[in-house]
Amino acid sequence: MPEQGGNPRENAGVSSEDILRAQVYGLVANFLSASPSTKLLKIGAGLKGDETPLGKAVGTFAHLCERSNAEAASQEYHDLFIGVARGELLPYASYYLTGFLNEKPLAKLRNDMDALGVTRDENASEPEDHIASVFDIMAGLIDGRFDEAVSLDEQQKFYDTHIKSWAPYFFRDLEGAKSSVLYAGLGSIGRVFLEIEDTAFSMVSAA
Amino acid sequence: MKPSDKKVDAGRRNFLSLAGASAVAGGAAIASGGTPTEASEVAEGQDTRLYRETDHVRRVYELSRF
Repeated sequence: MPEQGGNPRENAGVSSEDILRAQVYGLVANFLSASPSTKLLKIGAGLKGDETPLGKAVGTFAHLCERSNAEAASQEYHDLFIGVARGELLPYASYYLTGFLNEKPLAKLRNDMDALGVTRDENASEPEDHIASVFDIMAGLIDGRFDEAVSLDEQQKFYDTHIKSWAPYFFRDLEGAKSSVLYAGLGSIGRVFLEIEDTAFSMVSAA
Repeated sequence: MKPSDKKVDAGRRNFLSLAGASAVAGGAAIASGGTPTEASEVAEGQDTRLYRETDHVRRVYELSRF
């Protein structure tokens, strides 16, 4: 197994803004990878917003977490993503980009994961192009939890190919989905956060 | 990060702090390092780097105290 514990210096090079970015990716991934536990809802309820657009979205989501409970959240998660035949939404890159599951975007992601040295969790039954998995990978590329943090250029390459192309549409759908209450709030965080990411990355490319 | 990236990154980082990435402070640190039980179960004994939330990353979060 890969070295555990790692080298703290790898992470010392990651700026606090980038650690925060990784945390937002991680937060969103945690709520989308499975229905949230009581503990996760409690953490969500503890988030503090402010007057920025992202802060407002966070404040609303915290409020929704506080009003929710594991049972209601699990029902909502089920209606949104699992359903009887299928959920209201299919949070996969392949579906958003081609209209079908397990298509080329998944193949491309697998190739890029190979190149980055990221392998799939064997316990995961979902295709890797699930939104939670893509966000987890992005968090790891930023904060270096897999190995070491990658450069902004590489982050942007991954972002442009595997996130920017479809995730904003997914979050918009999540905000507007019939079954969304708690997840409408998470959808807003995702949408606003990706707008910030877009602008921040464009500052790098322009430089 | 290469030293040459650092200058480029200054404006971007400034933007990020103003854009309110800090709004997510505190709680997100815990949430993202959260579900430590599941995460470490996955991490143990598997040659996988996906979903690995190592102790040292959690420690960085703790020490950073956003």
